[in-house]
Amino acid sequence: MVSLTVDLHRLSKFVNVALPVLTVLFLFGGKFLSFYLNFFTVTFLFLSIVNYFYLRVQTEHSLLRNFGIVAQGRYLIESIGPELRQYLFASDTEERPFNRVERAEIYRKAKNIDSASFFGSLKEFDSTEIKIRHSMYPTDREALLPYSLTYGEERGIGNTYTITKPIIISAMSYGSLGRQAVRCLARGAKMAGIPMNTGEGGYPKYHLMEGCDLIFQMGTAKFGVRDEEGFLDEEKLRDLAGKDEVKMIEIKLSQGAKPGKGGLLPKEKLTPEIAGLRGVPLGKDVISPPHHKECKDKSTTVSFIRRVQEVSELPVGIKFCVGSFEEVEELVGEMARQNIFPDYMSVDGAEGGTGAAPKAFMDRVGVPLFPALARVNRILCEAGVRGRLKLMAAGKLINPGRQMLAFALGAQAVYTARGFMLSLGCIQALQCGQNTCPIGITTHDPTLQRGLDIPTKAKRVENYVHNLEHDLHELLAASGRRSFNELTMKNLFIPEDSTLAPLLDQQSLASTYN
Amino acid sequence: MMKTKASWILRIFAAVIFTQTLYFKFTGHPDSVEIFSALNMEPGGRILIGILELVSAILLLVPGTVAYGAILAWGIMSGAIIGHCTEIGFEGDLLSLFLLGVGVWVCATVLLVMHRHQLPLLRHTYEKPDSSA
Repeated sequence: MVSLTVDLHRLSKFVNVALPVLTVLFLFGGKFLSFYLNFFTVTFLFLSIVNYFYLRVQTEHSLLRNFGIVAQGRYLIESIGPELRQYLFASDTEERPFNRVERAEIYRKAKNIDSASFFGSLKEFDSTEIKIRHSMYPTDREALLPYSLTYGEERGIGNTYTITKPIIISAMSYGSLGRQAVRCLARGAKMAGIPMNTGEGGYPKYHLMEGCDLIFQMGTAKFGVRDEEGFLDEEKLRDLAGKDEVKMIEIKLSQGAKPGKGGLLPKEKLTPEIAGLRGVPLGKDVISPPHHKECKDKSTTVSFIRRVQEVSELPVGIKFCVGSFEEVEELVGEMARQNIFPDYMSVDGAEGGTGAAPKAFMDRVGVPLFPALARVNRILCEAGVRGRLKLMAAGKLINPGRQMLAFALGAQAVYTARGFMLSLGCIQALQCGQNTCPIGITTHDPTLQRGLDIPTKAKRVENYVHNLEHDLHELLAASGRRSFNELTMKNLFIPEDSTLAPLLDQQSLASTYN
Repeated sequence: MMKTKASWILRIFAAVIFTQTLYFKFTGHPDSVEIFSALNMEPGGRILIGILELVSAILLLVPGTVAYGAILAWGIMSGAIIGHCTEIGFEGDLLSLFLLGVGVWVCATVLLVMHRHQLPLLRHTYEKPDSSA
């Protein structure tokens, strides 16, 4: 059978011979016909030299060494593969970390466009997808209880902090984000009436500019509140905590993108200003230590929480990604023993990650959010201390559906970072660490930041929050409950193959905290 | 640092020689007209080459486009050398003109090698652009 094929081996051999032959032919043409033909002589001479370089000189690329300039086509086309796939070929539900359907939902919410969809869901309805159970007797909208969560009330401190919307902008430092993006988010947070986490970027200069409520995050390097050796500088913390905008302090023990490692700011994104705010040298990746110098084991960690609570006089939370449930159990046990509890715990799912991280850590380390959250909630309930603190969740909680699952698994408020980046217009170019973000969010290049107009994008952030809140209320009403606190695992349909299935028999415990 | 300095010296050398001969080409100086007549390219070819030289000089001086300017300069000078060998010859003043051409050709070649990473053709596909530094 004869089939129509292109034999690339023969084509490349043909090209390798043709290039020098054409050069000589055009040289003769230039001599005897018209000198203008030498334009071609020169062109083919150049290509012949490049081809010779590929075949005989360079040793990096086997393909170029064997086939020469024709093989270059492969590299050229491959280099635009990600763009081609995203523009043309990837289906609406196959991209990671967020597919087009998920991204489009955020864009529509941010632009305040109706997000109804038609002719059926594009989601899987197979044996692993968790669904929310609705009630035959949905709650009337008027009967829903207004949302309110007061941090620090358990300890009876003076500076409690109350949020009235269950959504918080998750930790993104100035450094990971450019100044323009930080200000868009901060202004949007102020307009929407939600707090924003500063991330571990040192003194939150740009976060403070727009006057929104802030949760100051203390990373393992303690940028902004560290002394020379990297221990806590109480004076600096007291100063920061004294600012009107700073409402809570968050001690970051670990992070979903790279649990077990400290924060990472690639040197491409380290400007003199950021180096100054963090107190680090220029020209090297900024790598935070894997743990706080004060926190060597469970007992020192609990004491450190107490110390930060006392110095700051604010509600203090801890954020961590779960590795081992035994460790969490022991830590909670130690808290009970010392009778010291953080004002909140934020469980970061291993799928999290606006941060730059080594690929192996991004992909392979840590427990995913839903099983981690459900187990932590259960551990707290079993220890009888669920009422001593608030529980929060983070990890791809960009849409109301996933957020609802988090509430049903025990979260009382949700963090999202990438949801808010998408609301600013993020196109998921996956260049966050290279200072080349085409939207201008994760770059310090002013010519790229130009794309972010602060008033316009702040409005998008506000719209996103309002539409999330609206959808969450609708879902809550449909589930037949009146507040997020009433949701339990019983409100979820959990198929047998789901990672949550083993926890199902314990569900009565998971719902006993209130 | 040394490399950037060397690059600037070569670029300015090439650009100065280009712009200086441009004057003769665009004003139709008899010597220039004579050369292009010998190539049977008068007057269109003279203007065309002049424009290409101008573009090349500009590209060479803009930091982001050095490699492209160098390719263009390399091409024009290769053509000039071919011209000298096949039609124009090397007598009298022509020899110094030829040697200047060879000088620019060498500059362009060196610049092309120095700035090859600007070309999409030779850029490494899987590495960050700066990781070679």
